[in-house]
Amino acid sequence: MKSPQAQSVLSSHVLEEIKELPARYPHPRSAVMPALDLAQEELGYLTPEAMSEVAQALDLDPGYVEGVATFYSLFHLSPVGKHRFYVCTNLSCMLRGAYEIVDHVKKSIGVTAPDVVSADGLFSYEEVECLGACEFAPMMRLDHRYHYDLTAERIDQLIAERKGLLSVHGEVAAKPAAGPPTAPKKPRAARKKKKAESPTKSEPSP
Amino acid sequence: MPDINLTIDGRKVTVPAGTLIVEAAKTIGIEIPVFCYHHKLDTVGACRMCLVDFSPGPPRPQTACTTPVSEGMVVRTQSAMAVQARADILEFELANHPLDCPVCDKGGECPLQDFTFRHGYPTSRIDGPRLHFKKPIPLSERIALDRERCVLCYRCTRYYDEIAWEQELTTDERGVQSFITNQFDQPLQSIFSGNIIDLCPVGALTSRVWRFESRPWDMTHTETICSKCSVGCSMTQWERRGQLVRITSHENDDIDEGWICDRGRFDYTDVNDDSRLRTPTVAGRKSTWADAISSVAVGIKGKGARLGVSLPQDITNEEAFLFRRILDGPLKGAKVKMHGRTAIPAPAGPTMRIKDIDDARVIVVVASDIENDVPIIDLRVKKAVSKRGARLIVVYPEGVDLDRHPGTVHIRNAPGSAAAEVRKLASHELLKDPGGPVAILFGDGRGSEDINELAVACGDLAEKVGGQELPLYRGTNERGALAAGVAGWDNLDGVEALLCWGPPPTAGVPKSVKFIAAWDHLPRAGYENAVVLPATTFAERQGSYTNVEGTVQFLRPAVRIQPPLKEGWDVLCELGTALGLHLDYPGIFPIQREMAVQPPDPNPAPPPVLVGPAHP
Amino acid sequence: MPELRGSHGDQAQHVLTRWFGTPDLHKLGVYESKSGGYSALRKALFDMAPADITNEVKTSGLRGRGGAGFATGTKWSFINRDAPGPKYVVVNADESEPGTAKDRYILENSPHMVVEGILIAAYAVGANQAWVYIRGEYDEPHRMLIEAIEEARAKAYLGSRPMGKDYPLDIRLYRGHGAYICGEETALLESLEGKRAQPRSRPPFPAVKGAWGRPTLLNNIETLATVPWIITNGGAAYARLGTDKSPGTRLLTVSGNVRKPGVYEVELGATFRHVIMELAGGPLEGRSVKVFWPGGSSAPVLPESMLDTPTDMEALAAARSMGGSGGVIVMDDSHCIVRAAHRLLQFYAHESCGKCTPCRVGQDWAVRTYERILANEGSQVELDILQRVSDGLQNGRCLCGLGDSGGWVIDSTLRHFRDEYEDHALRHRCSVGEVAVSA
Repeated sequence: MKSPQAQSVLSSHVLEEIKELPARYPHPRSAVMPALDLAQEELGYLTPEAMSEVAQALDLDPGYVEGVATFYSLFHLSPVGKHRFYVCTNLSCMLRGAYEIVDHVKKSIGVTAPDVVSADGLFSYEEVECLGACEFAPMMRLDHRYHYDLTAERIDQLIAERKGLLSVHGEVAAKPAAGPPTAPKKPRAARKKKKAESPTKSEPSP
Repeated sequence: MPDINLTIDGRKVTVPAGTLIVEAAKTIGIEIPVFCYHHKLDTVGACRMCLVDFSPGPPRPQTACTTPVSEGMVVRTQSAMAVQARADILEFELANHPLDCPVCDKGGECPLQDFTFRHGYPTSRIDGPRLHFKKPIPLSERIALDRERCVLCYRCTRYYDEIAWEQELTTDERGVQSFITNQFDQPLQSIFSGNIIDLCPVGALTSRVWRFESRPWDMTHTETICSKCSVGCSMTQWERRGQLVRITSHENDDIDEGWICDRGRFDYTDVNDDSRLRTPTVAGRKSTWADAISSVAVGIKGKGARLGVSLPQDITNEEAFLFRRILDGPLKGAKVKMHGRTAIPAPAGPTMRIKDIDDARVIVVVASDIENDVPIIDLRVKKAVSKRGARLIVVYPEGVDLDRHPGTVHIRNAPGSAAAEVRKLASHELLKDPGGPVAILFGDGRGSEDINELAVACGDLAEKVGGQELPLYRGTNERGALAAGVAGWDNLDGVEALLCWGPPPTAGVPKSVKFIAAWDHLPRAGYENAVVLPATTFAERQGSYTNVEGTVQFLRPAVRIQPPLKEGWDVLCELGTALGLHLDYPGIFPIQREMAVQPPDPNPAPPPVLVGPAHP
Repeated sequence: MPELRGSHGDQAQHVLTRWFGTPDLHKLGVYESKSGGYSALRKALFDMAPADITNEVKTSGLRGRGGAGFATGTKWSFINRDAPGPKYVVVNADESEPGTAKDRYILENSPHMVVEGILIAAYAVGANQAWVYIRGEYDEPHRMLIEAIEEARAKAYLGSRPMGKDYPLDIRLYRGHGAYICGEETALLESLEGKRAQPRSRPPFPAVKGAWGRPTLLNNIETLATVPWIITNGGAAYARLGTDKSPGTRLLTVSGNVRKPGVYEVELGATFRHVIMELAGGPLEGRSVKVFWPGGSSAPVLPESMLDTPTDMEALAAARSMGGSGGVIVMDDSHCIVRAAHRLLQFYAHESCGKCTPCRVGQDWAVRTYERILANEGSQVELDILQRVSDGLQNGRCLCGLGDSGGWVIDSTLRHFRDEYEDHALRHRCSVGEVAVSA
């Protein structure tokens, strides 16, 4: 399995895509965030190796890329669940019970802190600042979608859907994910491999 | 620039247009405290320490470091509003500061201490626990970072980005969690890293070489010149109880602009080496100066071309002058080799000044990795490019740090073909209409180029595009030695006797040598049967160097000579006398006076500059 | 599509939301046929000189809806149209002021209105390229805006010859990645340039040296969405709406403890009583309004007694608050003001970029002080610290407005609810008896 790409954590097509980014902007440096996006999409979170590879692909210094990645809260520097609950707890949502929602999420997925991933690797959560949908408070972002008027029951339903126990949007439910649980501290680097083992663990489509 | 009249704290002041309030105040001795502001870095207005109030302007405190003066402006640094604003900022700065001043290397020369004393609240109102970071973090072998002391003025990261064109020191995270970091904890590599220690206005960045060594007030300091390369940066050497314990930068805008490289800053521990040679020895036995010198004279006299003389790159002009006398007289015919010099011939006339690089519109760097050859000139070129918009053409076989600028035109020549590439440059797009002065900096490619051909090509190019040339002599006093006629390039193979002024030849002592006389400061293998005269180091030396651009600058000894050590010129006088010359100078000044009658350098040398504005 | 919570349909004051609710309004065909979309662009390109467009916007008196309320036409006129080299329009769609959802509301309902406004603005200031900086969490608005741009491109409303006019216009998107500070225009520019989003010291102003060092016009989504109406109906017609100094309408996001939270379009000058008690249905059964933030969390709070304050910027300034982003957060009497202020200071501390000292240190210091008060460890010392930190954050002490915002939360809640603070800090009890939430 030794290939020229064996040393890099990012796949060659992602690196190729990253190398094409700078030309799209008046100054190549603007490509750093879209590039980190691609890296995070592939790996789930940004490892030092991934940031270094992004830096190399963009002809930047790793330290610069690290500085950018650590500034923005949507970049993750430690493993996250396949489905991450971004629950708004800012004032408008807090006044309508956001913290109770957070408590329920934590209890339901069995984790206590944002940098912990549920034992099955499926879930993690994060309290976030205002997401700009205050008329639907309490609300959250999950799998690149907003979810409104949250209740404990709604959370239970969303979790069940993602565990494959319930149908999603009327589609036929996939069979329950029976893949081996992901160790929380392990990077989801070998995406290709994992995909082969468990087809249900594909990335959420943006 | 027209002058602007304004009033600061009731005092009238006239400064050139474009001057910032903080600088205008400095001219009349009014201190406006600053952390993030530094006169060599772009202004950012980040720390807010310099809040003053002025009219016309909004009725709230404003930053003096980002505001240029305007005609009729009235600045108040002592209004209740301004005084309170600054005191509040200092309180914020101290809210998470560990206040470990008693064990902090910065204590005693710390702007945070001084400003708190002069501008802070008289009583502490700070309560509760402070933020904690892991500390100290070794940024490299030589620099430590204390993130708790850091006030996040970003001088260090801005310096790295703006001046050194490096990104290995950056800021991570945001808000109160922000911290300065080296990338993924890799040690800093830059040859320019040490300047961040001088820039840091608190004790966050400290020298690990000097760490916990002494208190600032426990040292004497001497402004002098660096001996490590031909640039001749000004520096301050700090002495404590006969030891050289620290080196910091000392601003000379004509040459170094306040920066020194890590070679100049950190390579000094040999001065304090326990094994330093202190007394003359003959074949390993202690001797008197008189006996040792006569042994040397006996060993080298009358050898003609069978004698080799090895000279160091940092030979002073005075020593070179005396050597000229000796080589013209009793040692006539000896082979001379100066180490660390380039192959560049002596200049035919005045060459470009370092400071004039600032005004160049196009800079051509040929056959030199200037980051390593003449580091501080590298920073000057970077400044001209990134701050003043000069265009840059590099002719060099390998990648150089100047490539970090996206506008750099790098022509990667095959080694040996630099002259051919230079000849093509006259028709280069950037040089067709450069729009102003052109600077041509050329080295010798470390021996890979035919230097005569290259010098001619650069001269032709300069003539065609109206450019000025700066030949990049590398050896500390290469230019002075060239002018004195002692910068020999002879092959020492086959000589029977060898006089080493300084360490032995870098290529090793030729096998043919039967007698060695050395003037050196450290013991070395091969000195067992030699006559060894203990030498001074750069920190104890008097004399002058002629730097790369032809400026003569004077060394001032920071560490007093411990007898029986002698000055180099003194040793040479005694040696010359033992060889039959009349070299009876009572001190270095008569030598310099005699040199001045017949100046060693035919170029009109500008007066030496030793003192510039102090680092704030 | 989720239900539409807020203004839509044919109401006298509806400038922006008149056609919201129309099925498929986000499709170019519907936008054109139902709401007369893109007629303003056609008028601007073919019937008006660029300077006329700017003058029309000046006449309208439109003021920026992002938060600062600067006169839009004046801002446009700062761009030197004749300066050589590229110029940019950068659209601030990084809506992240707590309690504000109006830009999302516009983008999800009528993305073409935004596209049209951007194109008109770019043409007026002499830019050929616009960049929309949209917050990373706005997946749906991002997708809809891309679709709208591609539809417009397919119809040659933008591109090398928009509508046949020899003036290239293009719009590109750039996604934010989670930083409230990017709402500040110079921080947004830094971010757009691929850097850590830390505000720049001004001058130079973006109009002179903005994105990638070029002259740049920065406007908010709502501001630009208003432009087509002004071009179609004339600046004078817009100026007749609202008050003299705050003309027109604006979208107020009403959230928190009300029956009908939503994004409501009101004529400026309408009172908050109208907005909160009528449009948003007032508080829940058995509850009363205790306090409201009139313009996002950064606007100093107003107590229930000030419900009759009008919504225009001058009236709000007179009430020692501001119109801000139009996010009206309503809190009822079952909630604790100290806890609410604590939560907002957590927000400002979390979002402080760390560049300037007072904001970086002050917001965090305030949070820790609130924590002691809420843990019943407070005393007069803590109250004094809060006031000091608040003073230290305001009035030009900080590099940008984020610092002031935290200061205003502390200052205004202390000013209006001193008793409640003292109950907590000195008597270690909560006067509303709110149960502690896990944080």
